[in-house]
Amino acid sequence: MKRIILFSILICTVLQAQAQWNGNTDFNIHGYGRGSVYGGSKAYDLTSVFAELSLQASVKKGPAILESDIRFSTGMFFNEKDTRFRIRELYAGYKSRKVDVFLGNQIVIWGRTDGFNPTNNISPNDYFFLSSDPADQQQSNFMLKMQYRPLPGVDLELVAIPFYKMSSYRFDLFDMGELGNYLLFVDDMLPERILANGTYAVRVNFEYPAFGGSVSWFQGYDPYHGFNVVSVNWASSQPVIRIASVPYRKTAIGADLAVPVGNYMIVRAEASYSHTKNPENKMFIPNPDLSYVVGIETNVLDFIIIGQYIGKFTFDYSPLSVPAPPKDSNPAALIQYTEKYIDYENRLFNRKVFNQQERTNHAVSLTITRSFAYDVLSAECTAYYNFTSKEWLLRPKLNWRISDALMAAVGGHYMKGGEKTLYGYSSAIMNGAFAELKVIF
Amino acid sequence: MKLLLKSIVAGLLMFGCTPGLFGQSAAEISRKSTEVIDLGSTQMDFTIYIRDNKGSERVRQLTMISGVFNGVGKTLVRFTAPSDVQGTTLLIYDNKDKEDDMWIYMPALKKVRRIISSERGKSFMGSEFTNADMSKPNQAVFNYSLLGTTVYDGKECWMVQSEGRDQTISKAYGYSKSVSYIDKNSYLSYKVEYYDLSGNLHRILTSLDYKNVTKTTFFSYRTVMENVQNKRVSEMVVNKVETGTKPGEELFSPNALQ
Repeated sequence: MKRIILFSILICTVLQAQAQWNGNTDFNIHGYGRGSVYGGSKAYDLTSVFAELSLQASVKKGPAILESDIRFSTGMFFNEKDTRFRIRELYAGYKSRKVDVFLGNQIVIWGRTDGFNPTNNISPNDYFFLSSDPADQQQSNFMLKMQYRPLPGVDLELVAIPFYKMSSYRFDLFDMGELGNYLLFVDDMLPERILANGTYAVRVNFEYPAFGGSVSWFQGYDPYHGFNVVSVNWASSQPVIRIASVPYRKTAIGADLAVPVGNYMIVRAEASYSHTKNPENKMFIPNPDLSYVVGIETNVLDFIIIGQYIGKFTFDYSPLSVPAPPKDSNPAALIQYTEKYIDYENRLFNRKVFNQQERTNHAVSLTITRSFAYDVLSAECTAYYNFTSKEWLLRPKLNWRISDALMAAVGGHYMKGGEKTLYGYSSAIMNGAFAELKVIF
Repeated sequence: MKLLLKSIVAGLLMFGCTPGLFGQSAAEISRKSTEVIDLGSTQMDFTIYIRDNKGSERVRQLTMISGVFNGVGKTLVRFTAPSDVQGTTLLIYDNKDKEDDMWIYMPALKKVRRIISSERGKSFMGSEFTNADMSKPNQAVFNYSLLGTTVYDGKECWMVQSEGRDQTISKAYGYSKSVSYIDKNSYLSYKVEYYDLSGNLHRILTSLDYKNVTKTTFFSYRTVMENVQNKRVSEMVVNKVETGTKPGEELFSPNALQ
C-alpha cells in the first residue's frame, strides 16, 4: 500500500511540476500502461501475469538533465503474488557538446553485436523477468558515467560503480531432480560495500563512415555471477546443501567493430578476454576465457537477417572427473564421497553458467525481422543453437501497432536442452507463449 | 538520405543532360532547381499525417537538423511522437559518390547502431513517402527526358521524365519512372507522378505552400503523397523552420546521438 501511495504522490508531483516549469525548461513526460501474460510452461500454467505502469520523465534546462523511468507493476510471478515499485533509471547530470557527466541509476549497454555481447559487463539483468520485450530484463545500478568527445566520431567513456549489483537467475525455481531435494538457496553473498570493491570501466569508441569500433577495459565484480556451496549440513538423515550466489572479480579487455560492406551488408565482431584469479580453485570463479562473436546483417527481400557465430575459448581448462564411489561402506568414506560428489555437481553447474563446459564452445544465432502493412505489423524470429552443449532456442514474436496509442504483441519462447543442461532446466519454467497489450501516452 | 523536406521536391533534381526541346537542357533546369531549393543548414520541426483508405489517421512528429560539412550533407532526424519512438534518432551522411551512411539510436537499446542504407524503396515511417523520396537521387543512375509543357495549377510547367538506367536502380528506388511538373518561371516542382515497376501510376506527390527561406530559395511547407492504388494519403507539414545558424559538425557525430 505504501508503494501505491508513494507512486501516486510521485505522479501528482511530476504532473504538477510539468505545469509549473517555465518556457526555458524542456519538460517531457510519457510512458505506458500494459497488461502482460506469459505462460504455458511445464511448471506453471501462467508463469508471469502482471499489469504495469511506466512513467518516463525528463527535464532539460540548458546543459542540466534529469532522466527517469519509474515502473510500478503488480501481478503473479511464478505463482507468487508480488507488487513491485522499480526505479528502472533515475539520473541527473550535465550534457554539453563535448562532455557528459551523469550520476544516478543508469543502464549501460556496450557492444556492437546482437544479443551476445562479450564486452557488455556493466549492467545486471533480471533473466527471469518474463515479458514480450527482452529489454525489460535490463537493470540499472548506481554509477557515475562520464563521456568526453574530443573529436567528431571519437568518444571516451568512463564508468564507476561504487556498489555491486548482481544479475538475477532464480535457479531456485529449477527442478534439479534428486539433487534438488537437498539444495537450499540462501542469501546472496555480496562483496563488502567499500570503494575497493567497486567496478571501473573505460571505453574508447570510434564511429566513422568506413567503420565503427571500440576498445574497452573493465575491472570489477561481474554481474553475471557464480554459485558456491556455502555448507553441507549432515545433522539430519540427509544432507542439506546450502547454495549462495557469489560474485567474482575480473579484469576484461574487449574490442568490437562494425564495418559496412557496400550497401547490402554490415559485418560486426566483438571479443573480450576475461582474466580471473583463482588460486584457491573456488567453484564460483570461472577460468580466464576469450569470448568472441562474429556476425553479418543483410537485407533480402525486405527481410533483415542477422546471423552470428558465438564462440568461447577457456584457458587452463581441465575436464572434471566424476568422483569414484568408495569401495567399502565405511560412513566416513561415504560422507567424503558425497561431499566430493556435491562439489563435482556444483562445479559442473557453474561451468554451465559460464559456458565453460568444454575448452572451446561454439554456437550460432539467426534473427530474421520484417515489417508489413506500412510498419503496422512487424514479425521477428530468433533462433540459437549451441553445438557444444546441444541446447537450442526459438523465439518468434509479432507486434501489431493497432493505433498510435495502442500496441499488441504475441509470441512464444521455446528452449530445449538435454538432461542437466541449463536449457533443460530453464525450459520447464520459461517455455511458453506470451501476449501483451500496451497503451502508450 | 539528406534534407528531408528539401528532397520532397526531388523531382527538381531528376533532370539529365539531354538538350531540351524548349530552349534549356534538362541539366540546366536541374541545376537551377537545385539552387532554388538549396537550404544549406536548417533545423525544422514537422508532422507527418498518415491516413488510410478507411479514414483512420496516424501522426508522426520529427525534428530535423541538417548541414553540409566538407561536401557531405549530414542530417539528424529525431522522432518526438508518438511517445514509444520518442528519442529515436537517425543520422544520415548523404555521400555523393557512394551509398549513404546511416546510424540509428533507439532509447530502448541504449546504443547507437549502424544500419544498412539500401532500403530506398521502403516506406518512410509507415507513410506513403519512401526513403527514396527523402533523398536526393543520384542523377548519374537516371535517364532524363523532357516530355513537353503543360499548365498545372495555373502555372506553365515543364514535364520532365526520369527513368532508372537499369532494373536494379528502379527496384532500389521503388519506381520505374517519374514525371515532374516544374514551373518554368520559378523552377519549383509542384507535382511528381511516380510509376510502379509494372509501369502503372502509383503515387502522386503534390508540393504546396512554397515559402521563401532566403531571397532566392524556397521550399514547400506542405507536401502530400497520394497512393492512387490503395488510396492512402500521407501529408507532411512543416511546423517550424530555422535557417542561418550553422550547427557544429560534432552534432552530426554518431557518438553524439545518445
